[in-house]
Amino acid sequence: MGRIELDGLTRKYGDVVAVDGIDLDIADGEFLVLLGPSGCGKSTLLRLVAGLIPPTGGRVLLDGEDITHAAPARRDLAMVFQSYALYPHLTVARNIGFPLRAARLPRAQVRRRVAEVADLLELGALLDRRPRELSGGQRQRVAVGRAIIRDPRAFLMDEPLSNLDARLRQSTRAQFRTLHERLGTTVLYVTHDQVEALSLATRIAMLDGGRLEQVGTPTEIFDQPASVFVAGFLGSPPMNLLPARLENLDGRVRVRADGIEADLRPGEPDGSVEGVEARDVVFGVRPEHLRLTDGTGRAGTPVLRGVVRAVENLGAEEVAQCAVGGETVQFRGARPLGLAPGQPVQLATAPDHIHLFDRGSGRRLVWRPHPARTAPATPRA
Amino acid sequence: MTTARASNPGAAGETGWRDRVRGAVGHGLLAALSLFCVFPIYWMYATSLRRPDEVYSVSLFPWPLSVGNYTHVADVLPIGRLILNTFVVALVIAVGQLLVGLLAAYAFTAWRFRGQTLLYLAFVGTWLVPFQVTMLPNYTLLYRAGLLNTLPGVIVPNLVSALGVLLLRQHMASFPRDLIDAARIDGRSAWSILWTVIVPNLRAPLAALAIVLFINAWNDYFWPALVLQRADSVVQLGLRGLFVGVEGPDWGGLMAGSGLACLPIFAIYLLLQRHVVNAFVRSGLK
Repeated sequence: MGRIELDGLTRKYGDVVAVDGIDLDIADGEFLVLLGPSGCGKSTLLRLVAGLIPPTGGRVLLDGEDITHAAPARRDLAMVFQSYALYPHLTVARNIGFPLRAARLPRAQVRRRVAEVADLLELGALLDRRPRELSGGQRQRVAVGRAIIRDPRAFLMDEPLSNLDARLRQSTRAQFRTLHERLGTTVLYVTHDQVEALSLATRIAMLDGGRLEQVGTPTEIFDQPASVFVAGFLGSPPMNLLPARLENLDGRVRVRADGIEADLRPGEPDGSVEGVEARDVVFGVRPEHLRLTDGTGRAGTPVLRGVVRAVENLGAEEVAQCAVGGETVQFRGARPLGLAPGQPVQLATAPDHIHLFDRGSGRRLVWRPHPARTAPATPRA
Repeated sequence: MTTARASNPGAAGETGWRDRVRGAVGHGLLAALSLFCVFPIYWMYATSLRRPDEVYSVSLFPWPLSVGNYTHVADVLPIGRLILNTFVVALVIAVGQLLVGLLAAYAFTAWRFRGQTLLYLAFVGTWLVPFQVTMLPNYTLLYRAGLLNTLPGVIVPNLVSALGVLLLRQHMASFPRDLIDAARIDGRSAWSILWTVIVPNLRAPLAALAIVLFINAWNDYFWPALVLQRADSVVQLGLRGLFVGVEGPDWGGLMAGSGLACLPIFAIYLLLQRHVVNAFVRSGLK
């Protein structure tokens, strides 16, 4: 078992709040990724769970047992560090066996377990080497081996792939996935890399400024970002976010800004969209959800009009930077896009691909059925 | 520069010549300074190897060679026991200072506690207080404890040194925090982390510090001279006995004895040359 519950977990440093009242329930066997930019408190949160730093408020529960004030060694959690933290003076075999020797297990048993883990991680030929004689990828595997050998209730991983080159990172990601499927142990994984988060996680917890912004499956987080922050963090390039105005015009809900016109909902049969108030919003659309149009499409199709500023070659694809109103919109598509700087351009998208956020709070606006009627809907923050 | 050389070989030749002269002058100066430093030691061994009736000779090379002074010292002093005593005293002091330094530095770096800075400043402060200030209080304490004229009397007040604490604190402060955290998660206690993780990885600075502390203790003359009244205790005082004899200084014996007293330090230097140089560089001393 390895269910981790965080209950209002808080860590302050003087007046600075590094982790701000986090409530999170991580189910047994889940691969939960804490995602966020540098300084968002994700590593601090992981260290709070590990017991390496004491919280200033809240509780940590492991399988229902309060471990908030338990020593790290008594938590039955294993951690993989960003720096790997391998003991430089010990061989690979002794590094992997270190936790078992600390638990005073018989030598023969330690040797047997080390051999098993080395076999699992293909480290058998390296057992007599010291960490300085290993490559980055090998060190990383030794660090994982040292965590696995304890058979802990959960793994805590602090950016374990960030010191590897891009190619090795990709193959190690696949190994992590296989390992997680095989062991079935709960993983709490910290990263700032969205690709890692989206590809590994069963659920992602997005953090910003020590607070939870959104918790959900990778699909939910990517397709329905709960805030401007989440929308702007995920995606490469990230979502285009432009200030706009939500209006109720001729019985249609429409978003307008300089260079943008988008009908979101067709008018109701009686010509009313009761309950939708005009308001300032942030209009969001992902660069890959835009397509070139000549303006002859169906009336009311959301359209962005602008001028190409630059075109960036990404290999298989191109990204065009376009000036729309006073803002920059990025448009991504298969190479060649056939665009040149200075060229006027019209970009269309589907209403389903448009995200709206409240300008003040930055939270997502969602369609909910109007309580008084069944068919029409109203956007709510 | 390269272009100038290529286009004007005459100038290049002149520059090369100037560099060579500058190098030669520098080397000459350093050689002279080295000779200046080494000469007293050479003279000590040279005098010790002259015949006892020729110790006042000023000839540069002792000839004919004689071991008369050495046999004389061996007759009048229990030189083997003196060196052994001094070795034990220096070793115990070095190990004691190293242990105290290690534990204090660990406490200062691994934990945050109330009054930490004040306590650390107090440690630093003791290093700044001259020996002469603490000499008499220490002497009185030893007298009360009945340790005057004993080897423990030389050792005990020297078991703690701020130097060790200062140096090791610097090394421990730069020790990777992740390694300590990893060991904590892996189930090691604070005590176990010190011995199984930190000490094995600080072997080089610990060895360097141990050498400095040992040599300092070996070379210390004043404190043993104050505490010990007997000439047959440590080698420093045995030699003093030769210097203040009733017939005036016994130069031959003194040089032979000093030469023997230096041998353990030379042996350390020869065996651990790299560590010794490292030790002095690290400690920023001498």
